[in-house]
Amino acid sequence: MWTVGSRTLFRREMLRFLRRPKNTFLPPAITNVLYFAVFGVILGGRIDQIAGFDYILFIVPGLIALGTISNAFENASFSVFHGRWNEYIHETLTSPLSYVEMVAAYVAASAIRGLIVGVIIAIIGAFFTPITITHAAFLVTTMVVIAVLFAGFGIISGLWARDFDDLTVMNQFIVQPLVFFGAVFYSLETLSPLWRQVSLFNPMVYMVDSVRYGFLGYSDLVPMVSLAVLTALTVAVLLVDVYLFKIGYGLTE
Amino acid sequence: MQPAIETRELIKEYGELRALKGLSLTVEEGEFFGLLGPNGAGKTTFINTLVGLVHRTSGDASVFGYDVESEYQLARNKIGLAPQEFNVDRFFSVREVLIHKAGYHGIPKAEATERADEVLKRVGIYDKRDERFDWLSGGMKRRLLLARALVTDPDLLILDEPTAGVDVQLRHDLWDLVTELNEEGTTVLLTTHYIEEAERLCDRVAIMNEGQKVTVATPDDLKRRGTDTITVDLEPTPPTAIDSDLGPYALETTVSGDRLEVRVDEGGPTAPQLLHDLEAAGYTILDLEISRTSLEEIFVELTEREDRTVTRSDDERTESERASDATDGREREHENEHEHEQERRAV
Repeated sequence: MWTVGSRTLFRREMLRFLRRPKNTFLPPAITNVLYFAVFGVILGGRIDQIAGFDYILFIVPGLIALGTISNAFENASFSVFHGRWNEYIHETLTSPLSYVEMVAAYVAASAIRGLIVGVIIAIIGAFFTPITITHAAFLVTTMVVIAVLFAGFGIISGLWARDFDDLTVMNQFIVQPLVFFGAVFYSLETLSPLWRQVSLFNPMVYMVDSVRYGFLGYSDLVPMVSLAVLTALTVAVLLVDVYLFKIGYGLTE
Repeated sequence: MQPAIETRELIKEYGELRALKGLSLTVEEGEFFGLLGPNGAGKTTFINTLVGLVHRTSGDASVFGYDVESEYQLARNKIGLAPQEFNVDRFFSVREVLIHKAGYHGIPKAEATERADEVLKRVGIYDKRDERFDWLSGGMKRRLLLARALVTDPDLLILDEPTAGVDVQLRHDLWDLVTELNEEGTTVLLTTHYIEEAERLCDRVAIMNEGQKVTVATPDDLKRRGTDTITVDLEPTPPTAIDSDLGPYALETTVSGDRLEVRVDEGGPTAPQLLHDLEAAGYTILDLEISRTSLEEIFVELTEREDRTVTRSDDERTESERASDATDGREREHENEHEHEQERRAV
């Protein structure tokens, strides 16, 4: 599967964002400096500890998860949509790459961009509060899974969008609300039983909780179950991606 | 030997619109094949079906024996496409675009880089290799599309309106280049609006109209299907009703001053008889010129005729239309023979 062709497309996708750090890495870095400064230092100093952790430390895993999935999603959706918009995705489509190879290259590069942003946020967070990793293997696995999952969602968004406004709609009206109600800034324990139950329908909750478990060893849910559900969802989304490429959804008609 | 392109009853529908209506076409390996037709004839849909940008509704389409959908990777690996649209990656330099395209076809980076430089030199834009696509002039963009199609060293080169909007010099440069490639063994499928281009370059041309093949023939065969015009300057000035002095070979006559124009099936063999008849009628021949029907006129006639056959009964059709249908029938027979030959080989 990882042929010269797919490696070339992967390299092309990587270079696209690596050569533009001002557009790809600087904005999330600045945003997260503001998050840590405002929510962590200014407001966080007035908020009690959550589950025995300072508030700023409690929100670090959520912000890392948020940055990772947002950037993985945006990268995939933008790259696919921009290629469609300017029709240069035809260079790929008319090549002898398999549909699996195409999806693998787009998803891998987008997931890596998300993970790089996650690392950048972790480094910024370390300037504000000491960060420890309790379950390293679990954390790495979870981060890779959620980055791939949202890169996969980004492909669907990039294929579905009919114009640039549609991309904004997906991100601002679907992804961001789910993220902010995904227990990034609070613990599920702080919610009433009803809202706690409602929150369990939000996939972000499982992601943030799993990442938090990896860093802090603290979890509101059962981490391994969350990881299993996320992995299954990721496989399903990738299969949908490949299917959409195969039928040419948004690409060929 | 597998044909470079073979389609059978190829149909593409967009909802109610049928863009390809059962197109059957065979392009042999090594041919320089032209696809002519008015806008909306289905030429680009046909090409896009071959390269995977359009999914067929029904029918068969193969490239060098590989089905374009079930064996899409093998089929696409054979094809180099220079499309009408400037669909080039804007994020990278011209050279990188070519390296990427070669890489998608499985060519390792070192070799892809060599090939990129080679084709950039061949199309004459090597000095622009580090520029981005948007900074190139229109002519250079056309050259780049050709370079991108060539960088994978394709067995089948598809050129969709390659000289649209380019100046005369570039057009001739491109003609020379694709002729050279064809002579080196590359099969070329060319769609064009320029009849002169097809006439000059193509071994055979297919004329398409409204998603159907109207005819397939060599440019010379096509021209022979048309009529010729014999123009004679006479003394004294002939009357308008000069037809009566001429034989049944004169399909149509036009008198303008002392000039007579006679439309005939074949100018060369008919001219002596015409001169004889005119001298017998008392005229002196001052000058004579025979003009052959241009391919453009044939093209217009064929595509217009295709429209007319929709509304006219068979009895009203002209001899040439019937002849054209007969030719199509022969082509179908030829293609069936080809199919049978393939079956025999498969067995």
